[in-house]
Amino acid sequence: MQTFHFDPVDLPPGIPAFRAEIRAFLAREMPRDYPAEQKANCWTVYDADFSRRLGERGWIGMHWSKTYGGHERSALERYVLMEELLAAGAPVGAHWIGDRQTAPAILRYGSESQKQRHVPRIARGEAFCCIGMSEPNAGSDLASVRTRAERLPDGRWKINGQKIWTTLAHRSHLIIVLARTSPADEKNRHAGLSQFLLEFDTPGLRVQPIVDLVGAKHFNEIFFEDCIVDAECLLGTEGQGWKQVTAELSLERSGPERYLSSIALFFELLRVVGPSPSESVRQAIGRVTAEIWTLRQMSLSVAGQLARGEDPYVEAAIVKDLGNVFEQALPPLVQALADDGIHLEQDSDFVRTLALLLQTSPSFSLRGGTREILRGIIARGLGLR
Amino acid sequence: MSEQRQILADTADRLFADAVTSRRIEGFDAKLWQQTIEMGLPLLLAPEADGGAGGDWDDAGAVLHALGHHGVPIPLAENMIAAQLAADAGLELPSGPVSLATRVEGALQQAGTRFDGKLLGVPWGRHADAILAVVPGHTVLLRRTDATSLRHAHNLADEPRDDLIFDNAPAVCGPASDGTQASHLLALARCAQISGALEAALHKSVEYAQTRKQFGRAIGQFQAVQQQLAQFGAEVAAAMCATRAACRAATRGDASFQIAAAKLRCNLAIGFATSTAHQVHAAIGFTREFDLRQSTQRLWSWRTEGGNDRAWADVLGARVCARGDQFWADLTARDDAVSLT
Ligand SMILES: Cc1cc2nc3c(=O)[nH]c(=O)nc-3n(C[C@H](O)[C@H](O)[C@H](O)COP(=O)(O)OP(=O)(O)OC[C@H]3O[C@@H](n4cnc5c(N)ncnc54)[C@H](O)[C@@H]3O)c2cc1C
Repeated sequence: MQTFHFDPVDLPPGIPAFRAEIRAFLAREMPRDYPAEQKANCWTVYDADFSRRLGERGWIGMHWSKTYGGHERSALERYVLMEELLAAGAPVGAHWIGDRQTAPAILRYGSESQKQRHVPRIARGEAFCCIGMSEPNAGSDLASVRTRAERLPDGRWKINGQKIWTTLAHRSHLIIVLARTSPADEKNRHAGLSQFLLEFDTPGLRVQPIVDLVGAKHFNEIFFEDCIVDAECLLGTEGQGWKQVTAELSLERSGPERYLSSIALFFELLRVVGPSPSESVRQAIGRVTAEIWTLRQMSLSVAGQLARGEDPYVEAAIVKDLGNVFEQALPPLVQALADDGIHLEQDSDFVRTLALLLQTSPSFSLRGGTREILRGIIARGLGLR
Repeated sequence: MSEQRQILADTADRLFADAVTSRRIEGFDAKLWQQTIEMGLPLLLAPEADGGAGGDWDDAGAVLHALGHHGVPIPLAENMIAAQLAADAGLELPSGPVSLATRVEGALQQAGTRFDGKLLGVPWGRHADAILAVVPGHTVLLRRTDATSLRHAHNLADEPRDDLIFDNAPAVCGPASDGTQASHLLALARCAQISGALEAALHKSVEYAQTRKQFGRAIGQFQAVQQQLAQFGAEVAAAMCATRAACRAATRGDASFQIAAAKLRCNLAIGFATSTAHQVHAAIGFTREFDLRQSTQRLWSWRTEGGNDRAWADVLGARVCARGDQFWADLTARDDAVSLT
């Protein structure tokens, strides 16, 4: 029977110096008048200017080929950069998706001209990307997408349909759209899907923001109405969309952002309770520490496997599931620990961070694949499906 | 895992798997103990110069994982640690079995040549030739036959955990630079055993879910069961990963933080894991005869042994609170240190 693989990883030489360099950069360049609660879940916080500065520094596309504007650093160096940005609460939302999955998908499946046209701009922090997977009637059951792309006699494609929950679509330049290119076959539901790489100025493409539960605008609906695009916009191979999207999901699920979304609140808690809190608070902090340390070891191990070119699909699902459980449990735990004198309408960094995370953390186990879907993947890894 | 360590782990695993029937022997499997001596396991952590195998905690972790997986009754973890601590203190280790006492009430007398006091909950105390105990500043070796009284007791899995009383008994002692090391190493050993027992309970549960049929199909085909087992699997993965990371840290140097975190994380995994294992097995798993209890009773015991949740949460919490905003810097520096060496 398969047991999961979580070999410890040794970080390569040079990491301490690199980490120090990142921290010095952040001490200098983090936006000043920045509300504390924005440090929570910071990988969805949009700041184009900050992303461009990271791009200038060579900190987007760190491990891509120099031919396409990358920097050919190691995957583990990139991991260290990501965790430092997240721990500092840096506003990295603008370029996060392009860096994590869109450009890697283009580099892996794209044509030479797609690579040359888009990847260097993404690496400079000038082109931002979004994920066109979910639809109103295709969430967990992604293979049931209905957006259609039809090949026209002149070789171009005509796209019709709708995407939803598309994070950052209203500020993106590029989107990878999963669409049906041949009719659904009940016997092979994964066949007949293809991916398309579109620019947002394509005629017939319309974006409409959706306001989330706290009133923020980050995700959107996208409508495709007789949207005609060049043959060139097909990403990868026609009919191979499912295989490609699965590889993209592996990248989407495996990073340290899947356990660090609430870390800002833990730092706030440590600040507020000081060096010698009551026994119950101290012990709760001890338990949280054990969780964080363990999750980081697991996350590092997955990063090490990815760096060696392995595909830790099940291990990544485990880290995301445990990570989501952890980052979701933290806000109510902190709320329960917080002293009676604290009211959620109070205006302090601590309370605003807590209030935001209490309300946004339910989404952590939805985005990127729900808890139930991840556990289905783990169950399959155990041989149960 | 290195090839050599994998061979060690596989050999130990086969040895313990063959011996599982001995779990039904109350107490101590003398034949298995002899076989572990032939493999050099009790002295795995002693330097080669002292007649040991010169292994490290990565090796020990792999062997103790197998020990925990099969739940065989021998004081291997305790003997390994005693051998390491004896070597550190410059003491010659008796042939053994040598057990380890971390709960000590008493003191050395007459310039360290005599000991007065109690050793509590000593694993396999009644079967040990000698017991290594740590008192402030000193590592002490005592012979079991010098005890004036020996009270038999057991943990929940029927493993001997005896109390020994010494009255002005002969003692050999050496300096112990770090008085907390014995309890840290015991915690680390229990982490490895817990990981193994968790893995065994998971394997048993998955196998059972694949074979037990209700409503015309294997219960493992019900999504409710799959989701429980997936969560169980994730907890096992967390405990195993934490343990391996702590073993690696112990191989490299000061691992007090990592061991505290790993033991606490292993302890936390035990709750969900044992309740799910029993839920999936239902009534059959609740019988004396059925094998599942060999894992779960050990897990319930080991959650307390080597430090319970409260103890390690307190240690970690105090350490972290004292450092305040240095939390992240400290957390990352521990792994970065490796890339400096
Ligand atoms: C903040 C946020 C940002 C997002 N950003 C993007 C984005 O940028 N791009 C994008 O494409 N999508 C995005 N999504 C969408 C996300 O991927 C979906 O929400 C997710 O896949 C679930 O789909 P759904 O919401 O339609 O729920 P459904 O699939 O309808 O699920 C509803 C419930 O049923 C459960 N369920 C469904 N199927 C099963 C099953 N087989 N077994 C057991 N339980 C099941 C689910 O787990 C869930 O609890 C985002 C979502 C959020 C919340």
